[in-house]
Amino acid sequence: MTAVVETFGLSKTYGQTRAVIELGLQVEQEQVFGFLGPNGAGKTTTIRMLLGLQRPTSGRATVLGLDAQAESVEIHRRVGYLPGELALYPRLTGRQHIDRFARMRGDSDLSLARELCERFAVVVDRPARELSKGNRQKLGLVLSFMHRPELLILDEPTSGLDPLMQEEFEQLVRETVAAGRTVFLSSHELDEVQRLADRVAIIRSGRLVASDTVETLRQSTPLRVEARFRRPVDVGLFEHLEGVSVTSHDGDRIALQAAGPLAPVLRAIAEHDPVDVLSRRADLDELFLELYREPVPEMDRAD
Amino acid sequence: MRTEIARLDVRLRRRSVIGYSLGMALYTLVVVALYPSFESSNSLDKLIENDPTISALFGITGPLSTSGGWLNGNIYANFLPLLMLILTLGYGAASLAGQDEDGTLGLMAALPVRRATIVLEKIAAMVLQAAVLAAAVAVCVVVGRAFDLTVTLGDIVAISATTLLLGLDFGLVAMAVGARTGSRAAALGTGTALAAASYLLGSLAAVVSWLHPARYGSLFYWSVANDQITRGVGLAEYAVLVGVALAAALAAVSAFERLDLH
Repeated sequence: MTAVVETFGLSKTYGQTRAVIELGLQVEQEQVFGFLGPNGAGKTTTIRMLLGLQRPTSGRATVLGLDAQAESVEIHRRVGYLPGELALYPRLTGRQHIDRFARMRGDSDLSLARELCERFAVVVDRPARELSKGNRQKLGLVLSFMHRPELLILDEPTSGLDPLMQEEFEQLVRETVAAGRTVFLSSHELDEVQRLADRVAIIRSGRLVASDTVETLRQSTPLRVEARFRRPVDVGLFEHLEGVSVTSHDGDRIALQAAGPLAPVLRAIAEHDPVDVLSRRADLDELFLELYREPVPEMDRAD
Repeated sequence: MRTEIARLDVRLRRRSVIGYSLGMALYTLVVVALYPSFESSNSLDKLIENDPTISALFGITGPLSTSGGWLNGNIYANFLPLLMLILTLGYGAASLAGQDEDGTLGLMAALPVRRATIVLEKIAAMVLQAAVLAAAVAVCVVVGRAFDLTVTLGDIVAISATTLLLGLDFGLVAMAVGARTGSRAAALGTGTALAAASYLLGSLAAVVSWLHPARYGSLFYWSVANDQITRGVGLAEYAVLVGVALAAALAAVSAFERLDLH
C-alpha cells in the first residue's frame, strides 16, 4: 500500500498558540481515513497545511507523494477539497459556481457534476446567499467531487446535511473508495466516522492521541460488566482485581469496567451467588469521549 | 492565457464599477456643460487668488476660467482621483485580504493555480475596473469640447492615464499590505492614509513654500496636481507612476506566496 498522505513532525504555531504539535499521520490508498477531534483541536489547521494553504512552522507533509508546500499546484489538480467553513460567492448561483470552478480547473467534463447535483438534489439556479446551510454544503460536495480527484480532503463534510443526505454522502464515499480513491475526512461526529472510516486518528490540543484501525480501537475498549447478586456484596472483593475499576455499587448490584482479563472477574462474581450477569464492550464513543476529555494543559484554539 | 479569476472578480464588482462610472460620467457632463457660463467669469479666479491655500486644499492651483483649470479644479485634481481611489483601494483591500477573511480565497487557492497567477489576475481585474472609470470620464470630456473646452485629445488621454496609474499605485499598495497582513482593515487603512497624505502634500506643496521641496514625495504631484492637463505628461512622470505600480505589484506577489490562507 502506498501512503497517500504522510506528515512528519508537522507543527503550526500562531503567536503563543501551538495549534498543531509534531503531528505524524499516514493515510493509505483506497481508505477512508477519519480525522477526529473536538472543536479547536487542530484538524482544520492540519488540513490547510496538507493543501499548502498554510505553511508549517516546522515539519513537512506529502500528499500523493508530492511536497505539500512546493508542489501544491499539482496536488490541487488531483485533490478535491471541501473546507470546514465553506464560503461561497453570495451572488453566484450553484450552476455559476460549478461552471466557473470547472473552468478554473481547466475541466470541461461536467457530467459527474450534473449527476451529483441530481443525486443530492442541489439547488443550482439560486444565488448562494439564498441557500440554506445544507444546500450550500451539498454544493460544496459537488465542487469537491466533480473532477474525480484521486484524494478527497473533506473538513466536516456532513455539517448541515439532513439524515437522508448524510446517508447519500456515506454511500458516495463508499463508492469513491471502492473505485480505488482515498477519502480523508475530518469530523467531530464519532458515529459518522465509526460507520465510514477504516482508520482513525484522534487529535486533541494539536497532538495525536490515538491512531489505529476502527476494529483495533473497538477491541481495545474496556469491557463493561454488570452483576446482580442474591444478597449485598462487598466492593472490596472486586477492586483488588487486575485492570478492574468499580463504576457503581448499590447493595446487591455492581457495575465494573474490566480492561484486563475477564476470567478472574467472572470467577469472583461466581463465588458470590449471582442471579444476573451482563457483559459488553464499551462503545467506541465512550473511548473517544475519554480521549477527548483528558485534561487539556493549554487553552488552544486552532480552528 | 486563463483569465477566469480576473473575470470572476470583475463580475463580482460589476455593479459598483458601473455605478461609479455612470455617476462620475454624469457629473463630468454637467461640469463640461457648465463651462461656457463660467468661461468669461473672473470672479472665481479672484476668489482663488485671494485664498490660494484653501483652494489648494481642493486641488485647485490655477485659474478656473481656462479649459485646463476648469477640468482640473472640478474633475482631475479632486473628484476623479477620489473616486478612482475609492474603487482601487476598495478592490485592493478586498481582492486578497478581504476575500481571505470572507473565506472564498481559500477555495480558490485550493485550485490548481499558482499563487502568483492569482495575484496577477487580480491586478488585471483592478486595471480593467480603473480603466472603465477613467474612460467613462474621458469620453465625457471629449464631448465637452463641443462646449468651448479647448483641450487636446492627447492631453485627455494622458491625464486619464496618469489618473488611472495614480489609482493603481495606491490600490496595489493596499493589495500588498493585505497580502502581507491578511487583514482587510490594515490594507484599507494603510492605503487610505498614504493616499490622503499624498493628496495633501501634492496640493499644498504648490502654495505652501516650506512644503514645496517635498512635492516630489507625492504621487498626486506626479499624476494630476502639477497641471498635467495643460502641460502634458512627461516621461519622468510615467516612469515614477509605473515604477511604483510595479514595485507594489511585486511586493503583493511575494507577500502572497507566504500568506497563510483560511
